Amino acid sequence: MSDAGHAMTISEKIVEGMGIKTVFTIHAFGFDVPISDTVIGTWIIMAVLIIAAFILTRKLREIPKKPQLLLEAFIGFISDFVVDKIGHHGKDFVAFLGTIFIFLVAANLAPMITPMGGFGFEPPFVIKPVTRDINVTAALAITVIVTVFFSSIFYRGPKGYLKSLFSPIPIMFPFNLMEYAIKPMSLCLRLFGNILGAYIIMLLIEAVVPVAFPPLAGLYFDLFDGLIQAVVFAFLSTMYVAEAIE
Amino acid sequence: MDVQTAACIGAGIAVLTGLGAGFGIPIATGKTSEAIARQPEASGKITGSFLLGIALAEATAIYGLVVALLLIFK
Repeated sequence: MSDAGHAMTISEKIVEGMGIKTVFTIHAFGFDVPISDTVIGTWIIMAVLIIAAFILTRKLREIPKKPQLLLEAFIGFISDFVVDKIGHHGKDFVAFLGTIFIFLVAANLAPMITPMGGFGFEPPFVIKPVTRDINVTAALAITVIVTVFFSSIFYRGPKGYLKSLFSPIPIMFPFNLMEYAIKPMSLCLRLFGNILGAYIIMLLIEAVVPVAFPPLAGLYFDLFDGLIQAVVFAFLSTMYVAEAIE
Repeated sequence: MDVQTAACIGAGIAVLTGLGAGFGIPIATGKTSEAIARQPEASGKITGSFLLGIALAEATAIYGLVVALLLIFK
């Protein structure tokens, strides 16, 4: 049956696209550390962002020119948002939360610069979203929850922190402890599930309708969904930090 | 019925959690539009709680998706 053969290639394509390959292995201190393609993708995004940060902030002037104006508007937007949500300690967290937001925007939108293939030739390189790997999102979520934990102790003091565990009533103590497991898990799974789901749907669309439709669907699944998820992750992190130090 | 078939049917059932998000997010969106129409100057705060709400409503659908993926590619 030709139909079954066709379905097989689609599912093979999806499994191949979802798979995370180990590019090379580092042997250090008696351990084998496998380095996957998502780790390399993360490094590339980090390098691009760091270089961009150096280049964009190299010649700052008192009277800004065009790139600096855009940069100031963008940073000002993030800073205003964080300070507005967290309060007067907000300035301390602008760098951390802003970095997470910018990294996620870059990571989620990077697949959009994949050159177009089709009509019999393969694109020269394919960029897959790095956030489709649950380890990347788990690392981000754990970073956020560790920040929440230590900033809560730091700004409330050890005594105030212990008191906050038993608020509003002592019987809430186990639930307050459980939040430290639930919050990072839901942050991590939300980002991972959204990006992977959108990625699988895009693979399906590309396999079924290879011409003309994928760019249109990509506007929604890559651009819109990626941006929304970056905003939601940064927003929820901000809310967790705000709740922890108020 | 072998295990793989049963797992695939289970994955299909797990994805039905999308129903909850599909009903919940439009309600939240509609109420947000109403609230902003009533009080446009509070749109910043309304959008904030809207984002929080849809993120939480969507979580159930995502858990369904993750369970379905675990069932298929275990």
